[in-house]
Order: sequence, then C-alpha cells, then structure tokens
Amino acid sequence: MTNEIKRISVDIGGTFTDCFVSWGAQYVQAKALTTHHNLALGFNDALDIAVKELGVDKLTLLSQLESVRYATTLGTNALIERKGPRIGMLTTEGFASTVPCSRGRGHGDGLSYEEKHDIPRASRPEPIVPIPMIKTVSERLAYDGSVLLPLDEDDVRNKLRDLVDQGAESIVVVLINSVVNPSNELRIREIYQEEYPGYFLGAVPMLLSHQIVGRKGEYARATSTIIDGFLHKVMYQGLGTLELNLRASGYKKPMLINHNSGGMAQLNSTDALQTVHSGPVSGIAASEHLALNGALGNVIATDMGGTSFDIGVVTEGEEKHYDFQPVIDRWLVSVPMIHLVTLGAGGGSIASYDRLYDRVKIGPESAGSTPGPACYGRGGDRPTVTDADLLLGYLDPNNYAKGRIKLDETKAESALACELSDKLNMDAISIAKLVKENIDQHMANGVATELRSRGYIPDEFTMLAYGGNGPLHCCGIANALGIKKVLAPPFASVFSALGAGNVDQLHIHEMSTFTTLFDTNKKSLLTTFEELNSAIDELELRGREDLIRQGVDISKLQYRIEFDMRYGNQRVETPVVSPIRRFKSMSDVLTLISKLHERYGEQYGEGSQAAEAGVRINTIRVASFLEVEKVDFSRILPVEERVGAVSVGERDCHFVGYTEPVETRLYDDQALKVGTSIDGPALVTTEATTYLVEPGWNFHSSNHGAVWFTRLGLGEIK
Amino acid sequence: MSVEKGAKNSSDLSLEEKELLEQFVDDNQLYYGPDPKIVRNHKLMPRTQEEECALESDIDAQRINLVRGRLESALEEGFNMVEKMGVAPGAKWGDLVTAIFTASGDMAQIAPSGIGVFASVCQYPIKFINKYWTNESTVGVKDGDGFIHNDSRYGGVHNTDQSMIVPVFYSGKLICWIATIIHEGENGSIEPGGLPSIAESPFDEGLKMSPFRCAENFQLKRDIVNFLQNSVRDPKLQYADMKVKLHASLRLRERVLSVIEEFGKEALVGSLRKTLEDTEAEVRRRIGELPDGTVRINTWLDHSLREPLLAKVPMAVTIDDDRMIFDFRGACPELANRSINTHISAFKTCLATNMILYVWPDLPVNQAIFSPIEMLTNRNSLVDPSNDSPNAMSLLPLFRAMSIPSSLFAKLYFCLPKRYTALTASHYNQPATFIYGGVTQHGEVTGNFCADINGNGTGAREDNDGENAMSPLFGAVADTGEHELAEEELPYVRLVGQQLAKDRIGFGKYRGGLGYEQMVTVRSSSFWGFMTGQCGSKHPSVYGVFGGYGCPAYPLAKVKGINIFNEVKENPNALKLDIVEMMNAQEIPDADYIVQQAAMSFEPCAEGEIYMICQGAGGGYGDVLERDPFQVLKDVEENILSTALAEEIYKVIIDPETLILDEPASINARCEEREKRKVRGRPYKEFCKDWVQPGPSEDLPYMGSWGDTGEEIIASPPGESRYTMRGDEMAAVMLSNPKDRRIRELENEIWQLRNKN
Repeated sequence: MTNEIKRISVDIGGTFTDCFVSWGAQYVQAKALTTHHNLALGFNDALDIAVKELGVDKLTLLSQLESVRYATTLGTNALIERKGPRIGMLTTEGFASTVPCSRGRGHGDGLSYEEKHDIPRASRPEPIVPIPMIKTVSERLAYDGSVLLPLDEDDVRNKLRDLVDQGAESIVVVLINSVVNPSNELRIREIYQEEYPGYFLGAVPMLLSHQIVGRKGEYARATSTIIDGFLHKVMYQGLGTLELNLRASGYKKPMLINHNSGGMAQLNSTDALQTVHSGPVSGIAASEHLALNGALGNVIATDMGGTSFDIGVVTEGEEKHYDFQPVIDRWLVSVPMIHLVTLGAGGGSIASYDRLYDRVKIGPESAGSTPGPACYGRGGDRPTVTDADLLLGYLDPNNYAKGRIKLDETKAESALACELSDKLNMDAISIAKLVKENIDQHMANGVATELRSRGYIPDEFTMLAYGGNGPLHCCGIANALGIKKVLAPPFASVFSALGAGNVDQLHIHEMSTFTTLFDTNKKSLLTTFEELNSAIDELELRGREDLIRQGVDISKLQYRIEFDMRYGNQRVETPVVSPIRRFKSMSDVLTLISKLHERYGEQYGEGSQAAEAGVRINTIRVASFLEVEKVDFSRILPVEERVGAVSVGERDCHFVGYTEPVETRLYDDQALKVGTSIDGPALVTTEATTYLVEPGWNFHSSNHGAVWFTRLGLGEIK
Repeated sequence: MSVEKGAKNSSDLSLEEKELLEQFVDDNQLYYGPDPKIVRNHKLMPRTQEEECALESDIDAQRINLVRGRLESALEEGFNMVEKMGVAPGAKWGDLVTAIFTASGDMAQIAPSGIGVFASVCQYPIKFINKYWTNESTVGVKDGDGFIHNDSRYGGVHNTDQSMIVPVFYSGKLICWIATIIHEGENGSIEPGGLPSIAESPFDEGLKMSPFRCAENFQLKRDIVNFLQNSVRDPKLQYADMKVKLHASLRLRERVLSVIEEFGKEALVGSLRKTLEDTEAEVRRRIGELPDGTVRINTWLDHSLREPLLAKVPMAVTIDDDRMIFDFRGACPELANRSINTHISAFKTCLATNMILYVWPDLPVNQAIFSPIEMLTNRNSLVDPSNDSPNAMSLLPLFRAMSIPSSLFAKLYFCLPKRYTALTASHYNQPATFIYGGVTQHGEVTGNFCADINGNGTGAREDNDGENAMSPLFGAVADTGEHELAEEELPYVRLVGQQLAKDRIGFGKYRGGLGYEQMVTVRSSSFWGFMTGQCGSKHPSVYGVFGGYGCPAYPLAKVKGINIFNEVKENPNALKLDIVEMMNAQEIPDADYIVQQAAMSFEPCAEGEIYMICQGAGGGYGDVLERDPFQVLKDVEENILSTALAEEIYKVIIDPETLILDEPASINARCEEREKRKVRGRPYKEFCKDWVQPGPSEDLPYMGSWGDTGEEIIASPPGESRYTMRGDEMAAVMLSNPKDRRIRELENEIWQLRNKN
C-alpha cells in the first residue's frame, strides 16, 4: 500500500463517465457525460475536470501515470440495445435448438419473479443469433472426449459457405463436449482459414467455444461464445478508441481493462464477455478493497440507485464470491463473475395498492428517469419511493441532484394520495411512511437472503451504502437487518471507478473434470494423481502465458487453485480453495475433503455434509494473478475525534415508528469535515447525495469523505 | 363389503349408534390408513383459537406484510439450499419446493421459485400427523422432529415425491409446519425410476411411506434411513436427499423462529392465516367477475400405459353468481390394476396449479386459491379412485388437470375487459421424457428420469404464438438442464439433444409452441433400459381454442438389434439425426425399425440401440387462415414448418427453393379455401344429425360417459365385453394382462392354423 500511486481509473456508464485519480497523496473524483459515439471525448471531459482540481496539466499527468484502467458498461448496453454483428453459429447435429430452447428457462432469465411466473405472457428475448443462422455439422464426441461420430469435413465446408452466404459477420462454433476434446472445433477453424483466409478484406472472425469457456454445459457455453462474438467488435472499437486517445495525449503504457472476475488485464488479453458488468462489479471490488484496507471485517456492499438495488458480499479471510453461471441481460452464461444480485428497488420504484392484501406494494414497476417520480414534474403521475422520501421531508426540493431537478411536493403528495389514500384510508404522510418502511424491508430481505443462503449472519456485517439513494435509506435497511454499522464510503458517486483502480491483474482458467476423490461404491480414495496434477499444470500455464503476454514480471506471479466439489451427484459445486498445490498422497486427498467439509458446513449447516455419498471434483480452476499496489484508504476508519457541527436549519421530518413529525436538524457539506459527529434525527445534504441520520443513529465523518453511521442503543428508538 | 351374521348394515344404524361405532373404531384402530375426511377436504381449516386471537390483536395489514416478506426471503433461502444441495435430477432442475403451513396444516406460503403443487398437496400428510400422531402416546410430535412421507394416498402427486415435514414450536407450543419436497425419482418400485407404468397394485409402486418420524432431536434416525436405503435402487440418493431436506427445513425453522422473536407469535400466526383468508376472498371476488354459465371440454387419454384405450377426462366449469363448480362427472372409471389413476387430493391441487399459472398468475401461491371452488366427481373414477388401485403414473390425468382449465377460462374471460393474464390454449400436457434405470459407466446403480420433462410447448395466446419448449406445465421456472452434464453421470448418449420437431404444430392464427425431438442410445453400461410414461400417440393430447388446432399425435420410434456406433463406422449415412428421416430412410438393412404408441414399459436397451420420442406442442389459437403470412414465412425460415404444410394448412404459398413468399397466390389460395368452407358448411342441427352417434363404435376400448352427462359410464375392457354403470355407482374396472391377451390371440391363431391343417 502506498500513498504515491499515480493512477487513473474510469467507469464508463450508460449516462456518466466517472473518473477517480490517485495523484500521490491527492485523490480526486470527476464526472462527465458519456459520449457514446466516441468514448474518449467523455473521458477527456472528466479528465479536464480532474486536472483542473489537481492543478497539473494533462500531458504531465498522463505521462507520469503508472496505469489507466477502465471499467465499463459498454458491453452491457450494446447487448441490451442489440448493437452487434450478424452472428452465425455452427453446432453439433442434433443440437440445433439448444440455444433457441434456452433450457426451457430462458423466458425467465434476467426477469423478476412476477414476470417469470406469468407463463401466458412469457416470451423469450429476441435471439442474438437469428435461428436460420444456426447450422449443424455432423460430428459427436462422448462425455470423455472419445469420438462417437467423426467430423464430416465436407459438411463443415458446406455449412460455412451457407453462413457466409447468409451474411455472417462473426461465426461461433459450439460442439458438444469440446471442452474435453477440442480437436473438432480446432479442425473447423483450420478448414475455415483454408476456405476464407484471414488476409482477405472482410474476413469474418471465428470464435471457438472451448476457448471462451472451459467447463461443461453446452447451452451456457454457447450463449457465452455468442455474446463474446456479438460484443467483440463494439468493445474492440470502443476500447481501441480510448487507447488511441490515451497515446495521443501522452500516455504510452498499455491501457488496462477491468474484468467482471474482479481482476484486470490489457486489451490484448481481454475477451468481450469479461467486460460485461465490469462497472457494477468494480463497485464490489472497491468494497473489497476498503474492507481489506480499512480492516472492516465482513462487508455487504449495497448500491441503491434510481431503478435497482445491487448487493455484493465481501467476507473476511475468504476468497471473492463468484457466480460461475451468471445471467447477463437475459442470458445464462458461463464465466466466473463476481457475485452481484440486483433487485428491482430504487428511488423510481412505483408504489401501488395491492387489493388482495390491502397493502402498499413497491415495484417491480419503475418510473425510471423518464418520466421519473411524480415530483420531478416530467409527466410521471405514479407515486414512487422518491416521492415518499420528499414528502417525509428527507429531500431538499431546491437542492436535489445539485439543484438540476426541482422537486414538486404537491405533485408527490397528489400522486400518493390519488393512488393510495382512499384505498388504504390513510393520509399521504402515513402512506409515505409505509412506502419507506416497505422498500427498506424489501431491500433488507434481499440482503438477508443473500447472506443467510451462504451461511452468514447479517448483524456480523458492516454495510456499505453507495449509489444515489444509498445514504438516504441505509439506516432503514440496517434497522431491518439488525446491522449496527454502516459506511457511506468515500468517493461514493464514483465508487465503481475507485474500485476499478484497486484490483489485481488476474486471469481465471477453468477445466471440467470428473475426478472421484472418494468412491462410495468401491470404498476407495483417489490414488493416481497424474491427471489431476497435469490439469493444474495446464491451467497454470494458460494463466502464465496470459500474464507474460502483458509483459509482467513472472517471478511475482501467484496462483490460486480452486476446485468445485460436490457430494455424490448433487448439483451444487462448492468452490474450495485448495491447500494442496500438487497431489502426492492419499492424505492430500483427505486434506481436500476436509476442506470441503469445513466450507460446506459453514454454508449449509454443520452435519449437512454427506461424504458418505461420495466426493467428486467437477471443475478445476486456477486464478493466476499479480498483486498490484493499491490506493491507501486505511484512514477511512472512524477517527477518535468527535466534534459537533453547525446546523444550517431545521425541518419537520416524518419517521417510521413516530406518529408525529420530528424536528430534524439540517446540515450541509461542512458536516463531512473529519470528526463531525451528529446524532439523528438529522439530514446532511451535499452536492452528491443526502445522508439521512434516522433517530437512534449517529453520523460520524472520517477521512476522504467517508461517513460512518452507527446504531445507538435500541432503547433510544421510540 | 360383506356383512357378518348378526351385524346391522351401517346404513341401518341410528345416529347414536353410528357415533358409538365411530368412537369404538377410533379407539381400536388396526391401521391408520389415508383418512378421507382429510384428503377429500380442500377447504381451509376453521380458525384456531390462536388464529382468532392473533387476528383480533392489534397487528395491522402492513405489519403482516412485513412478516410475509420475511417469510418469503426465508423460503427462498431454503429453496436455494435444496436446489443446490439436492442429488435427485428433479431437485437439480427445479422440481422441488419449500413451504410453510399453519399449525392446522393449511399451506400458506411457498418459496417463489418452488413448484406449488408439491406444497399444496402436502397439507394432507400434515393434517394426518396432527390428527393421528400428535396424541398417540407411542409417537407424538415434538420440537426437533422430522416426518417423511411419499404415499400419495395420504396426499401427494405421486410416490416419487418425498417430503420432509418439520414442526415449529415456540415456547413449547406448535406454531406452524415447514415442509420441503423433492421429486426424488427412484423409490424401489417394480420398474426403476419411481414411475412404474406396469404397477398392477399399490404394492408394485415401491416405498409406501405413510407419514412417520424419521428425525429426532434435529437428526435423521440412521436405522430408519438405512431401512429406506435398503428398499430402493439408489441408496446414495435416498440418504443424501433426506439429509438435504432436513437441513434446509431446519434452516427455515430458524428463520421462522427469528421472525417470531422480532414480530411476535401473533404476527406469524396472524400472517399465515390472513394470507389464506385474503387469498380466498380475492378468489371469490374474481369468481364474481366471471359471467354466469357453463363451459366444458371433453378430453381423452388414449393409453393406459399398458394398452390403447380411450379414457375420458371431461371438465365443465359452471359459474353461478359467486359459486364456481368444477364438474368431472363422466370420467373414465377407476382402473383397478393400471397405474394411471390419480387421487382426488392430487387432482384438485393440479387444477389449482393451472389456475395459479395460467389464469391468475398474480395471486400468491397457497391452497386458498382452490378452497372456494366446488368439485363434482364420480367416486371410483380415474380422477377419484379408491385407495386400492395403483396411481404411480397419475401424471397422465394430473397433467390434464394442469392444462385443460386454461382453455375453459379462455372462453369465460373472452368477453371480459379485465383479465389477469393473456388468454391461452393449453400447454402441452404429457410427461414426454425418458425414464431410465441400470448401471452407469461409473458402476453406480440408478433409476430416474431426464429433465426433458421440463420443456413443454406452451399454448398459443390471444395475441402471440406460444413459446417453443418452455417450462413444464406445472411450474414456471424449471430447467431442462445441460446434456453434457447429464452424460457425464449417466451412460446414455443424446444423439439428438434438442431439435424442434418440424411440422408437429398446434396450428392457428397464433400457433402453439413446438416441442423437440429426443433421440437417445446407450454406451458403456453393463445394463441399461428405458421406459416412458406418456400417451397421445393416436388422439391429440392438447386441443386448440377458437378454431386453433390441437397438437399432433406423437409416437415412439426405436431401432433395435443394432449398435449404431459400429454401424456408422461402416456407413456414415446409417444415422439420420431426425426421427422422420431415420424412420423413413431405414438405412440399416438388418435393423428392426419400430414405431409404436409412445407409452412404453421398461425395456433393456443394448449398446447402440436407438429410442426416439418428442416433446409436444401447445394448442393453437384462432383460425389458421388469419395467420399473418409473414409469420408463416418466418416459421419456414426457421425450419419448423415445411412449405408443403404452409400451403396445406395456412394456404400460404412459399417457394421451397428460394423461400420467397408469393403474396398474391396466398391471397387467392385463402379466398378459395374460404369459398370451400362455405360449401362444406352446414347448419348446426344438420351437422349434429349426421355426426352425433348414440355411442362409441363397438371396437373402441372406450371408458367413460358418452356425451356431456355423466349419468351412464361405459366400460370397455380390452378383450372383454363392454358394459355400462351408473355414474354414481361406479366400480373399478379390472383389465386383463396385455400379455395374456396376446397369448390368447396367438393361441387362437395356432388353433386356427391347426384346424386348417
């Protein structure tokens, strides 16, 4: 850890390009509108703001930087907007409908429960590969890679010609069991290169599934390869423009791209799928960095924005929490991605009346930013969470979003009253309190499910609250969860950019295997280790080659060996970090089995382990990484000093559990001065956000603009 | 039942005598069988005193809502645990549920991702435990107990589903129940996989677990587990999943207790009860919105899984002000020695499932969805049999229960402005998958079914086509899985994994979603075999609505006496990865190419022999001549419709070489067809005069009523004389063994040949 790092990290979002600059001991944040036609322009605008604040010229800054790193939602947006080439797909004969049928579940992937459950209205998303562009070739490999049907090369040539004739701009090849034996996929590429050499203008790229995904599962591997092919060009062009811009501006080193694995790599070692969701994932990376750097212990990262509430888990002394088969947009894919759950809950979530239960229901509909909450006065007439927050007195009508949006209380009240007053027989304020309580509970339930499913207890966690509405709702969420400490982190409005600047150079490679450690029928333990060890060798080699390609010092490389393990034939694959680097004896096997026992018991309860049913490894995973220096945030911990602050006014606010309005002191950004301590009820309104200090909570600001909320004795809550 | 000498017939007893007798019998029970008072009652239990107190306390709707949200989170947590930890294929691909029941046993709330029917039907064993074991001195119910059951006669879809039922006590008092249920598959039945089509009695169906305690002090009782393992083919599965269910239930129990700690006992008890009562009130409101009248549909199963027959499953829905009556009178009689009977409790919960998934998907999933509905059935019918008949393959009538109501509700809602979802034709309704058993390539003995059951075609909608192979009709979020992973564990090879079945469509203005072909063989196994449990090979299983077509009939095809892996080495053309092509080309000279009805009892499959079936299509909606020609073209381009059928059915002309749509020719063809329709058309009465027959043809193995009334029931046991019964006095029909019939036929032939000579 050092205070001398000179680094820029950027998060290019759909609306804003966020920038975090670490310039020695100085940390600066900047924000500009994203310029979709040329991402470099938005970046330059943000950079201009940053250099102005730092007082250095751009050339000096760029020429002295140790690195520039990008996280981006560019890929996510391109996927949602379906901006990509016409993809052609070659797959094994007999599996033409694997992708279109999407495992019978594709109608629901990426949707809310309500949407999933309405079968008569359910529809799959428009396919990325037009169905006539899926061709099959005659070949078939068995589960162990042996050849059942040889590849029909004439058939391959014919089908490739069909795809080219039908205008394929990118071709993906997904053959059954190719991860065990890639020879047919590789041969198809050779044939393709013979028929359509790459030096011709208009050469069409071809992606092979086994090179994108190392694990079995033909559908998820196919969608991963398809998305990779679909996003390749747009990502390459977008990111390539950024790299050229950097070179032209004086930065001569390779640009680094953040991956959804929580690591990063140079552009030449990044595939498009790895960039999807790298923006939100960088928020989790930032949380992880703060947790480690600030010794915060277990952390639950929450990002409450206008339409969604993202949840991530960071646990002390454990590896990152991954989803190995996450849903991206509407597609189940196979890529190790930092676990991130998104609930449809935000400031724009609409409150409606539920006749059945005679209650207020929040979401899943959202007013979004257009028309937005009723109080925006942009045509929205449905009541939202933000309308309730305004009515409860939490938001300053004249100073919202830096004063860019004037909030109209009358419209908020009218929307709440019209939609709900008569039905609930309540006044608008009481309804607003219900809305606040319900949305907080809903988000708390989401957090609780996340933590408890993994065997954790919420009140043993510190909650990180960021995003536009995070510091406003964090006390309510924490109350519902029993959490006692909340950190509104520093640089919260560019938090993902901050995270992007604090990850390691990392590559993860996986391989499917069917390795039985304990065979319950034969009552035998694994005794031959050559295959297992050579698989680990192979994966380490791949990681090493990735990093060597980027010119890193290989003496500093580290490897983490993980196995996805299971008891018997169960579905769950419990990831276990192996304490054994290479297996030499039966006792190594037993050590690994006991590690699974420990991990599984933590997650599902002691006694739930079932080694009696057999123990197996299904996936071998090697994370090859190079630790890089991180920006120092150790000073974000609560400071000793506690000083009061001068309030700038008072306002009546309404709180859940209080029948009468409570006089609430108001503060401005002076309250962020280190050591400021304020007991709730209070409101701190800054340019970037509003901190709501609910009764029973204390606000205490620390270094870098970090704010700690701590729960006072429960007895103080009326 | 015979009457012993000196005993009065029970109908001759006075009320007082009856009470005395009942009391005596209750006090001297030989055996606690399925209790009709429990399993026939789908109404909510009366409010308990605790529930009364809870609802009278000061908890309001908003607070109850918070409790409900907390319980939902806990149920989902439990569901995730089971789905991840479960070993059964059913658990892996979503065929499971976690649920909370009131202390009286009413099912109040389930995990949002769970299969509702499993939970609804579990109310009955809980009520059985309450009634019989709580105060039984040798059993009792206490904190830390876990009860298991699978016998569907005590409440259950079929015997492959095993529950773990855990009581939740607070301050020494029973507050509620928790249950976790998985479709386990293998259960020691006469055929592997737990779904024996050849079961001739309940005792051929494997484990028959009435509800009993299998866990004490929060731990499984190993002697009990061992007994169960000893009774099935896959002891590993039996053990591992019992453990999974217990631990998930205990986790859920912890969460429920924490809700009580936070909100109070009254809030929990009140929440569960109010959820049920509010749902029931909403259902009554919705019934009130429907127009008065009766809509009906007559459907037939075309196979008993042992022999072809036409087993009627009719349904009529009558709305009379605030009453809704489901009428199944006229259904096929109970088949005393065939496995396709279903118990009434399961049948009702499957009807409720249809309403939850296809009519009112916005309603919460609990048993109050069905409690306001009145049911009419004939006792001893296929859908309301006695306890003496097998029901291992109850899926046939149950899948019908989960599909046909939506087409009736399409009619009821057609003219109403307010709908709760789209109107739709029926989802495909056969369990179209391979059930397997044998020894895997890893030397493990197993028996279960493939996840293809989870990919039915959906019915066409009022404004859109159905979705191809999308979710099973019993749940919205199940999964067909990955074949690469399945083949890793099992020795079968999917030659055709998923390939939509071209031209096999429920046509209409909007077409139903298609099913896909499944072609499978086996490799590297010392013994393996397959069976299926579906029908619909002669008579379509699903019908269209408002002029839409039903689905086609799907046979089973197989190629025996070969090893395809050797054949393709000699002749690469030997294998056609398309059922129609494979069976038409018949490239392998000495092979047996067989087409048969899709129902197949377990038979061994040698290495390289091929079995082929199809997932089916949903019904069509509206007139085929109104289908947008460009949608027809799209189907052709996507290779799910041939140009020949485009012309024959839709009257849309598409060049088979260029796939160019000839719009003027199509308009002409449609005009011509409309003219022909006018010529073919006849007044309704005239049509009926020719069309309506007094009864089924003599050669039809017909079972059930003829016409719309259920007063007279026809029974035509194959190989025997037809007879009729009064609907309200039906008796089960015993069918002869198909093999005996075949032997008789052959003996006749031999006799005739001998006589000839």
